[in-house]
Amino acid sequence: MAALGYIEILDGKGGVSERIAVDGFPVTLGRAYGNQVILSDPFVCPLHLKIVQDEQGRLLASDLDSVNGFYPVSGNARVAQSELQSGSQFRIGHTTLRYVSVDHPLAPTQVDGAVKVMPLASPYAAVILGAVLVLLLCLESYLSSVERVTVAKIIGDTWVTVSMLATWAGMWALTSRIVVSRFNFARHVTIACLALLTISALGLVAEWAEFFLPWIPLLWIAGVFGYGLVLAGLVYGHLGSASLLRRRSRLWAAAAVSLIVVGTSAISDFAARSKFSTIMEYTGVVKPIAAAWVPATSVDEFVASADKLKMELDALTKKAKALQ
Amino acid sequence: MNKFFATRALILSWCVALIIPAAHAQLMPGTTQEIFKQFSEHVVKIEVVETSSAAKASTGTGFFADNSGRVVTNYHVISKLVHSPERYRIDVIDVAGGTTVGTVLGVDVVYDLAILRTHRQPKGHLVFESKPVAQGTRLYSLGHPRDLGLSIVEGTHNGLLKHTLYPKVHFTGSLNPGMSGGPTLTQDGKVVGINVATEGNQISFLVPAERAMALLDKTAKGEMPPPASFLADVGRQIHDNQSRYLAGMFDAKTPRVVLAPYDLPTKPAEFFRCWADAFRRKELPYVSVTHDCSTDDYIFVSSEQSSGIVRFYHQLLSTSELNPARFFTLYSAQLQGGNAAMFGNEEEVTPFRCQTRNVATANGKLKGVLCARQYIKLPNLYDAVFRAATLGSRNAGLVSTLSLSGVSFDNVQALSRRYMENLKWQR
Repeated sequence: MAALGYIEILDGKGGVSERIAVDGFPVTLGRAYGNQVILSDPFVCPLHLKIVQDEQGRLLASDLDSVNGFYPVSGNARVAQSELQSGSQFRIGHTTLRYVSVDHPLAPTQVDGAVKVMPLASPYAAVILGAVLVLLLCLESYLSSVERVTVAKIIGDTWVTVSMLATWAGMWALTSRIVVSRFNFARHVTIACLALLTISALGLVAEWAEFFLPWIPLLWIAGVFGYGLVLAGLVYGHLGSASLLRRRSRLWAAAAVSLIVVGTSAISDFAARSKFSTIMEYTGVVKPIAAAWVPATSVDEFVASADKLKMELDALTKKAKALQ
Repeated sequence: MNKFFATRALILSWCVALIIPAAHAQLMPGTTQEIFKQFSEHVVKIEVVETSSAAKASTGTGFFADNSGRVVTNYHVISKLVHSPERYRIDVIDVAGGTTVGTVLGVDVVYDLAILRTHRQPKGHLVFESKPVAQGTRLYSLGHPRDLGLSIVEGTHNGLLKHTLYPKVHFTGSLNPGMSGGPTLTQDGKVVGINVATEGNQISFLVPAERAMALLDKTAKGEMPPPASFLADVGRQIHDNQSRYLAGMFDAKTPRVVLAPYDLPTKPAEFFRCWADAFRRKELPYVSVTHDCSTDDYIFVSSEQSSGIVRFYHQLLSTSELNPARFFTLYSAQLQGGNAAMFGNEEEVTPFRCQTRNVATANGKLKGVLCARQYIKLPNLYDAVFRAATLGSRNAGLVSTLSLSGVSFDNVQALSRRYMENLKWQR
């Protein structure tokens, strides 16, 4: 006999955790094994609810004098009887249920997000990005060395980062295997490579910007906010391939991780700055560029802007005197 | 570079005293004994006592300078009391062990002197030598080295030093900590100087007698200023003293040194000493040439703070091997590296605050950094570091640093300006 509809047991987030076919009416719901729908909820009575179909074909749910009652989800009041439409939700005990008829309208099919970003999901992307990253790391190792460099040193420096990246991607791949039954290793490598490349680019841009505009602490801003964004992107990306979380949940998770890390570093930075020290902290980035290209202030302006420094020190002194 | 500076500063530590008579000294039999016997009763031990624990915090030496019981010693011996009059007292102990409390009548922080008043009528006092003393004259220094008891040290007068902020007597004899503030006498028993500092190996320094005489004159009225006012007085003296040694520094007459392709200031005054070196190693793909000038002397403010130091340091980096990107990694690190070797604690100074700008001078462009901190207890005095890195070249660069301690902010600005304008490119 073909099913007329289904009674769905919903989880806390509204997802279906169990679906019971309804072949005919009446249907009874309760903890007792004689019911068509058996609920293992201790707040549900052995014989709790009965659904009948009247002569007009309407479905009526009636409370069978249960201890904890019957609540249509549309209203919070306990009722003895309520009519059910296809899609109606109701609660008995701590269990939320929904009745749907077989001809219940469905939402349009969603386009799979992974399909849209197919180029980056491909293993080739991981290989190409990995190769770009290795080249960049070699270049960085070479340029940051002020002593004579050897190939072994460059490979050694690069190897450290590459092996850390592989470990990171591997841990996410294992998580993916446990949660979604697929490793998705290439995707995790791609995401980690993208994050590292973005950080590199961000650092480079911030350094040059700070060289040109030394009165704005751009390296600090990039360090805190830029890396915070990259971290959020990293977590969002990894969760996309390693969990069944919806987009909104992934965004929340990414934002939370990023805020915690950025917040912690900002607090420790503030604490370090509040602590007394005889160290001078300043930006001193210089770049190989023709002097004509460097925007510069006059000596007069440099000396005059030191007045602000004096005001800052006067305020610090005042504060220190007040504390003594 | 800072290690070098710190080491030299350390060597010139403010301690004083004597111990080992020069082995080659030609002793006149009986003379030292007689001097000790005749004059030691005018010399006193000074103990700065922490009142809550009644234990001594520091010791030094002093001597009676007149019949009213005024005692001459060093400022640095009693500086703890000047900084925290509520926490310390001064005990003046004579040769027989009699103790009396001393009160501060006046201080001269620049010359590191203090005059104390005691309520004890001394049996006698020392007198000052008013005539010039020839180099080679045998001298006798008295004091309590390392609290071991009153001692006498022989040595020679070796003229007045020119490289100090003011002319000090160069005494070739071993002064040791604890002898600070003690008198150094001629064979006639006249005071030629007050023990003040040592660089070890019998190289010691005395404050000339006339400075003590001047401070005695200033405090002759005997009016007792309130203890809290001394700190303000110390600040004022440091402030006033700046004009003496900073005026005209780095003006157009300043001697020049060439560190090709740069033309730079050097030895702006007699009291600077300059050193230079080059750092070339086969395994390094660059060359570093340094030129370092510093005042050898400084004003003792407290055990963790000194003032009156002017130091500048040129470092020329060049390479024929590194490409511009790698050379500038090195150059940036040099500009950002190192601190100013300025010590201090939270009670005495604020932390540093800095500003960085790209600056166009009449000579070329440079990246200029100015960092400064303020003295908390002494009004309107600052430590400052100006650092510049020349811009425009792809394989050479100059990092030049000027550091000043205990100067007004006007002087910070004026000297930074003059220094910056003195960094030139060879045409």
